[in-house]
Amino acid sequence: MQIIQAFVDHINFIGAVALFLIGLHTVVTKKNLIKRIMGLNIMGTSIFLFLVAIGNVTGGVPPILQQDPNVNYINPIPSVLILTGIVVVVSMTVYSLSLTIKIYEMYGTINQDELTYLIREEEIHD
Amino acid sequence: MINQLPIINMLIFLATALIIPLLSKRTFKITLIFGFIMLLCVVTSSFFLIFHIAEHGAILYQFGGHDSKIGIEFKVDLMAAIIGLFVVGLTTIIYIYSCGDETEGVEQKEYGRYYILLFIILFAILGIIYTNDLFNAYVFMEIISITTCSIISIKRKKETYAASFRYVMLNEIGSLSYLFGVALIYMVTGYTNIDWVSQSIQSIWQLYSINIIIALGFMIVGIGIKAAIFPFHIWLPDAHASAPSSSSAILSSIIVKVYIVVLIKLLFKVFKLDILNHFHVSTILVIVAATGMIMGSIFAIAQKDIKRMLGYSSISQIGYIVMGIAMFSSLGLASAMFHIISHGLMKAALFLSVGIVIYKKKIKKKNDFEGLAYEMPITMSVFTIAALGMIGIPLTSGFISKLTLGMASLDHRQGYLIIIVVLSGLLNVIYYLPIIISSFLKSEPNTYHPFKIEKVPWPMLTSVILLGIGILTFGIFPNLIMNMITQAAELFGLI
Repeated sequence: MQIIQAFVDHINFIGAVALFLIGLHTVVTKKNLIKRIMGLNIMGTSIFLFLVAIGNVTGGVPPILQQDPNVNYINPIPSVLILTGIVVVVSMTVYSLSLTIKIYEMYGTINQDELTYLIREEEIHD
Repeated sequence: MINQLPIINMLIFLATALIIPLLSKRTFKITLIFGFIMLLCVVTSSFFLIFHIAEHGAILYQFGGHDSKIGIEFKVDLMAAIIGLFVVGLTTIIYIYSCGDETEGVEQKEYGRYYILLFIILFAILGIIYTNDLFNAYVFMEIISITTCSIISIKRKKETYAASFRYVMLNEIGSLSYLFGVALIYMVTGYTNIDWVSQSIQSIWQLYSINIIIALGFMIVGIGIKAAIFPFHIWLPDAHASAPSSSSAILSSIIVKVYIVVLIKLLFKVFKLDILNHFHVSTILVIVAATGMIMGSIFAIAQKDIKRMLGYSSISQIGYIVMGIAMFSSLGLASAMFHIISHGLMKAALFLSVGIVIYKKKIKKKNDFEGLAYEMPITMSVFTIAALGMIGIPLTSGFISKLTLGMASLDHRQGYLIIIVVLSGLLNVIYYLPIIISSFLKSEPNTYHPFKIEKVPWPMLTSVILLGIGILTFGIFPNLIMNMITQAAELFGLI
């Protein structure tokens, strides 16, 4: 029973770590380049979820100044950090997608195995 | 005024990157001269900064006047100032080279863009060196990642795209791991500022040891991927081999080192010795570094393409630096910092002299170097000096860094590490010496004309000669910088 209680209490953190591992698994094992980029995005999202979960205060309200002095505010700093993080991950995604387009134009494939094969073939021809 | 100097240095680079596109209608020479003047300004101010900091102590700068608990803070200590000057100075020399090379393989209209990327990289590097904030370091890391990937893929060739895609993927995994570590530390301490984090982490680490060990692991792995520390090196040889020569020099001798600086900050400013000794970080790092030193050299022996060989050699040299750090002693840190500088000079000299050979003769295989010294005496002389430095022959700066590393390992009562240093040096001999021998000795000497200098653009030769002189100077008079470095290493409060 205690285990279930602990699980429910920390569901945000467990979810974040699970997402991180799913993302890492996708990046490392999938052969399709676009799927790997998606994996990176999942990893990024998991960390943002983690940071949001850290900043949360039970029963807190959004950090906008209110008349009532007894109100608990949630911590705004992690949310601000995430804003920066989101921008960074988006730009990385855009850049790697544009690289994928170029790779498709050059090699005609976005499969990692075929790509490695084609590159090795060219090296032998040199 | 003097407090603003680090920020002004960064702003100069950012402004230069923004002004270069405005100059695109004029002849390209104006852009080159403009960039060079800006670099010289920053070199001068970095010199000034070092002397000021050595006398008056570290500079603290809070952005927008916010308190360091919530705002971003820059802290320029002696190490940051030394590494900053090294980065800017070395980039200036490589910049001179790239003026003559016209950055091989890059299309005419892309030249401007190449220099924009270069200045943004410099901006981010100075930021990452000066910053005193873990999250801010992450942002600068990402700026470096994106610009570096673009500088690799700027040659519109097939293989560069695949290489830079691999680089993006691994770098992004690295930065996200680092960010995860920052999040875990924030969870425990509630700060991202390095000083406050280390203060509060010292008092609570026994309560939250699981958080700390996971954060430490994630951050070291993340930085390890970006700095190409041995098991995470697979992106490096491809990326370095396919980039234009001047950017391979920048990648290998500067950008990889910047992450090592982050590692030093992380270990000795954030976590400090108590935590590191409790989790046996020293042992892990020594094992990783020793494997890297040996395996990097063994991989390098097997390469045919000379730039790939230099890339693998970088991996083994990074092993030296990490080993110096892993001693956790003042002398070890000093040797690591000296090797950052000396390897920067030597690897830049190697990449640039190989770049001249590629520019002139269009050869990339290391078997084609036969008799080359008769045609290109200056280039091959500098190549030889740098290669001997890599091996660790006296009179070169590589000897001094190996000597200091050996002394540090004796001090640390780990004398057996000297065996690894010597073994790695011998392996370096195996792949550098055949090139030197075949280029100087294997040819019909009747084609030899004494005092005939190769016909390549003068900026390329000037920069290569400057690097050669630098290697010899630091080899013969190491105390020029060694005193300063020892002083900087002692500030970290190690034994």
